[in-house]
Amino acid sequence: MEIQSMRELIKACEKEQKTIGEMMLKMETEKSGRDKEIIIAMMEERLIKMKEAVDRGIKDDSAAPSGISGGDAVKMYDYMNQGKALSGNYISNAMAFSLATSENNARMGVIVATPTAGAAGILPGVLFSLHKNDGTPFKDLVMGLFTASMLGLVIANRSFISGAAGGCQAEVGSATAMAAGTIVELRGGTPEQAVNATAIAMKSLLGLVCDPVAGLVEVPCIKRNVIGTSIAFSAADMALAGIESQIPCDEVIGAMYRIGKDMPRTLRETALGGLATTETGKQVKERLFCRKS
Amino acid sequence: MEFQSCFDIIGPIMVGPSSSHTAGVVSIGKFIYEMLGDCPQEANIVFYDSFAETYQGHGTDKALLGGLLGMDTDDQRIKNSLELAKEYGMQYQFEFAEECEYYDHPNITIVTAKCGDYVVKVGGVSLGGGLSKIFLINDKMVDIRLSAGDDLKALARDYQSIEKEFMEAI
Repeated sequence: MEIQSMRELIKACEKEQKTIGEMMLKMETEKSGRDKEIIIAMMEERLIKMKEAVDRGIKDDSAAPSGISGGDAVKMYDYMNQGKALSGNYISNAMAFSLATSENNARMGVIVATPTAGAAGILPGVLFSLHKNDGTPFKDLVMGLFTASMLGLVIANRSFISGAAGGCQAEVGSATAMAAGTIVELRGGTPEQAVNATAIAMKSLLGLVCDPVAGLVEVPCIKRNVIGTSIAFSAADMALAGIESQIPCDEVIGAMYRIGKDMPRTLRETALGGLATTETGKQVKERLFCRKS
Repeated sequence: MEFQSCFDIIGPIMVGPSSSHTAGVVSIGKFIYEMLGDCPQEANIVFYDSFAETYQGHGTDKALLGGLLGMDTDDQRIKNSLELAKEYGMQYQFEFAEECEYYDHPNITIVTAKCGDYVVKVGGVSLGGGLSKIFLINDKMVDIRLSAGDDLKALARDYQSIEKEFMEAI
């Protein structure tokens, strides 16, 4: 069985009375020939690595080797624990966990790419926030990773998931879209609602360019991961409220692809445009790498 | 459909900071290591386009050398691989170019590596999310997909036996 579009995915889930996560698990079992239990254990291992990255990052206030990131996860976690966060527990926890993961990534620590390392903060951010705030058990979070990967597979095969190929809309955009759909499914929404959340989240990030300062996955990547978690929760809430995306998800993904193709090379992870070429961005680059430019 | 498995999307487990510029490149290097059966004594590495522009920030050079030294994507020694390669006595040099004539993608490297009498020229593309593909071996176009958790040794061995049969047939 091949699923090449969100439309096919919703149909298949309805026909087989399965969630998106269950559908992914079934497909993986068929394709890989591995036992279902082994596949679940492999996914569990990834969830554990994500948790370890969050736990390490939330306590580590050291700077990345570049000196341009690090320490913000601890700040956000403290602020959140003082009960001051305007955005509420779900979003503020996700923000702290997302910072923890992405800062860890910048330190060349071990993380899990979801779907990429540059966007690795978003899914763990929302998943462990759900766990903390409504007690979603780990076993459900593992199923959530199957939901996320099914949504990600459709996006990756119809468009792209890396900043170099399609800009940040492809990277943080895809991860945010996957996270939005995953929240919906973990909160008991239908596959159709999950796909609506995916579309709504992706639409909010269309056109976002990849312009990392000095080519590092730090500025603005880390904070874009954080904002991604907020968008994921907003999109999920809209979908769970019964709000639909006026543009079907497959068409949104198609738009993301075309925008990425139209995006100049300078804005696709080459660090030759956008924030990378601001005065400060150029100074950072010069300070870090005395090389041809 | 380049992406096949849930683990192409969730994974690899890897050291940061970039799945395309770090993890995917470790796999390309590791594939060459498996082809040679050891780490090369000499390696000439060409980085194209986005790799050429941003390799320092992403540790793409460390990632490739780590792979050539036989490391996996989550090996914490990757950050020290420039020094480790020297300790192993590997002579390496990096070159930079804008566009690759063989393949159209921003994340491409072509590596010429020598181990004993064995010399290979391998082209690899990092497709994103840690997934990569070998598209060129010794001036012949190939299509070998490298995914997180794949047995790269077996993939390299398969390729070598196909190549051997081909050579014997002519």
